[in-house]
Amino acid sequence: MYRYDDIDREMLADRVAEFRDQCGRRLAGEMTEDQFKPLRLMNGLYLQLHAYMLRIAIPYGSLNAAQLRKLAQVSRTYDRGYGHFTTRTNLQLHWIKLKDAPDILDELAGVGLHAIQTSGNCIRNLTADPHAGATADEVDDPRIWAEAIRQWSTFHPEFSFLPRKFKIAVTASPKDRGAIRVYDIGLRLHRDDEGALNFEVLVGGGLGRLPHLGPVIRERLPVRHLLSYLQAILRVYNRHGRRDNIHKARIKILVASLGATEFARQVEEEWSLTDKEAVDLPATELARIRAGFAPAGFETLPPLSATFESARAADPALARFARRNVLPHKHPGYALVNISLKSIGETPGDCSAEQMDVVADLAERYSMNEARVTYEQNLLLPHVKLDDVPAVHAALVDAGLATANIALISDIIACPGLDYCALANARAIPIAQDIARRFADPALAETVGELKIKISGCINACGHHHVGHIGILGVDKKGEEFYQLSLGGSAEDDAALGQVLGPALSADRVAPAIDQLVEVYLRERREGERFIDTFRRAGLAPFKEAVYAQAH
Amino acid sequence: MKALTANRLTDGEVVFWTGADWSERFIQAAVFEESDVAEGAEAHAKSQFTLVVDPYLIEVAPVGGGLAPVSYRERVRAMGPTNKPDHGKQAVGGDDIAVLAGAHGAARSKGRVDLIRRK
Amino acid sequence: MPRLIRWRDGQAVWAEDPFTDVDDDQPVPQGDVIVSLARFQREGRTLLGEGRNLGVRLAADEAPESLIIDLARLAVVCLAFPKFRDGRAYSAARVLRERMAYTGELRAVGDVVLDLAVPVLRCGFDTVVPADSSSPDQWTAAARRFRHVYQRSADGREPAFAQRAKGEMSEA
Repeated sequence: MYRYDDIDREMLADRVAEFRDQCGRRLAGEMTEDQFKPLRLMNGLYLQLHAYMLRIAIPYGSLNAAQLRKLAQVSRTYDRGYGHFTTRTNLQLHWIKLKDAPDILDELAGVGLHAIQTSGNCIRNLTADPHAGATADEVDDPRIWAEAIRQWSTFHPEFSFLPRKFKIAVTASPKDRGAIRVYDIGLRLHRDDEGALNFEVLVGGGLGRLPHLGPVIRERLPVRHLLSYLQAILRVYNRHGRRDNIHKARIKILVASLGATEFARQVEEEWSLTDKEAVDLPATELARIRAGFAPAGFETLPPLSATFESARAADPALARFARRNVLPHKHPGYALVNISLKSIGETPGDCSAEQMDVVADLAERYSMNEARVTYEQNLLLPHVKLDDVPAVHAALVDAGLATANIALISDIIACPGLDYCALANARAIPIAQDIARRFADPALAETVGELKIKISGCINACGHHHVGHIGILGVDKKGEEFYQLSLGGSAEDDAALGQVLGPALSADRVAPAIDQLVEVYLRERREGERFIDTFRRAGLAPFKEAVYAQAH
Repeated sequence: MKALTANRLTDGEVVFWTGADWSERFIQAAVFEESDVAEGAEAHAKSQFTLVVDPYLIEVAPVGGGLAPVSYRERVRAMGPTNKPDHGKQAVGGDDIAVLAGAHGAARSKGRVDLIRRK
Repeated sequence: MPRLIRWRDGQAVWAEDPFTDVDDDQPVPQGDVIVSLARFQREGRTLLGEGRNLGVRLAADEAPESLIIDLARLAVVCLAFPKFRDGRAYSAARVLRERMAYTGELRAVGDVVLDLAVPVLRCGFDTVVPADSSSPDQWTAAARRFRHVYQRSADGREPAFAQRAKGEMSEA
């Protein structure tokens, strides 16, 4: 992993000093809330329903053991002993005091963590493929480029006050594990016929009130020009994006109103006038960043592990865990181990300080000191020897982290919703808990197979409901919580926006409706079809019939 | 009927205006029958920007055994998150919390009709 | 005379403003004046021919490229920040400095406060009319707070990657 040098460390120290000064001025009454709010937001500090919330950036979802232990310690010392991992691979602490915030940021800076640009109308924390460096289908490690963008976008003087927030995701595989089509900019690395690395550049995707899938505006961007091309995109947006209506200020609206072709033309024109050498990183700096992600000492191992094979044959729980949560690695004899934060009946994405410590220990001992956060609100150990999978599994069982439900119906994305969020219209967490309890039987969940449920407590869509196989959107009807279901969304290679099923349902009708949808799928499905495949073939009608028939 | 709420500047805690001070408990909130009196209190609260953030008026209405905020959101603020009963004001318990918890039920049943009608 | 903060040799200082800001419906007085883009496009040649210093103020939605022909003859360009959060003027400032090679005074006007010191100065502004009660000393301190920057901009500061390249050379 990339390690901060003195310059990176001094950047964080200077930022903490600045924020300490700003907090001091606010607490002393030298600043009003109107003046202070944009400053605290740029340091990731929100005011939510019950307290302040600190959103800590986890750049491209990569953490080492020391960082994870620090997150555990901070959540114990300054919060209530847990944190919430989000769909943006950030960690949110929900019970923070303003007066503690500078001290917390000081502690985080000690391990190279921060909350910079996790809010505000700026370039937000980067996300990347959680399988980076471990998957056989990648053409390069996308984190190299994500780190280059992280540095370039940090305190960018021109792009700190954009029309609206701005999110960038990077992947390097044909398979999209980063939801790049729903990002403001999605970048996919690929090699051309001559073997040269290029980016496919997608601009103008996004969820929220007006969801869009991002069109490709350039198929082949030579990688060395990444930053100058990003500057051109951001400059066109900063100058021409709408600022008169907050709901139409995202770049997706600019791209949609100009059309992708015209938007691309404007970007190319701007780029043609750009002094690229002044913006793009020199080869020496790219090599320095690349060295930070160099593979660290993989052993030559046989592709099969006798230890692992005999253990899974003897232990059905391990066998199930291996089936659901363990994935092949690009190096023989290694595996990626998914850690579900979706224990049945718990809050999706929540992780206690004790659990963070356990994962830190496992990362250090078994995964080359690396852990990842996925946008599906789970954790992942990227480099585990197959020989060690039984020991890792046993430790996860002890910590309540061995739920074998990755990509199953109980692996639900849910935003904090009305239990915490000042913007929410309805709760998301209890809905997720209700549904997960109905599919608590792991055999039943495996029978149903891959089914991605995504729940948002408001139209801002932090819970990605538009791209759930089943999406659930909380709405407010005269002070009461209602939920609108949609079917057929996907955030992956077959990205699609879901179609609304019918009128919104009351809270107690949601989980039974999921049961009904699953029954239709089990009845209608053909050999090998996932829920979404059956939906695409059979259409909305049978599902709608099942949920709404009894209302007549 | 209205009450005045805000979050405390230093720690973000949900607080209610008692008529003289800010309290963490909804039961101690001053209840305003007259809208001009309520608005006067709100204006005064906005001037206390070194104590509280974003003060605003909320609708309250009688429920079984007492008063409760009409909106679900405000009851969550007055109690705590429903997914963690050991966090927030509800962790302390008390009669006033029991009244608010009862109003949660009311909002999902016919009791809600009374709340909305009064609003 | 209204005062502004001027950036000079890495230090912010108070400066007198010799310019009169003229609205479109006012007659142009004697002396140095700042006019809108619309008025400049109508009367600019005349005003420039009268031997005075002339400035133009651009609204946030007006393109700096509109000034390309007469830019070298302008004494000041003012870019508007209608709101603290409106960042269009940063792009306009960089285009003027880096692309159009403008070297005259570049003034930030509108809702410009101390907490914007870093982006304002980094994008090439050299004078500001602060909307708060901030002092030049505070602006100097704010601008010096960050020992490093990660990217090149109109202020000519050396970015981290260039500093690192030098460090390697000195080690070698």
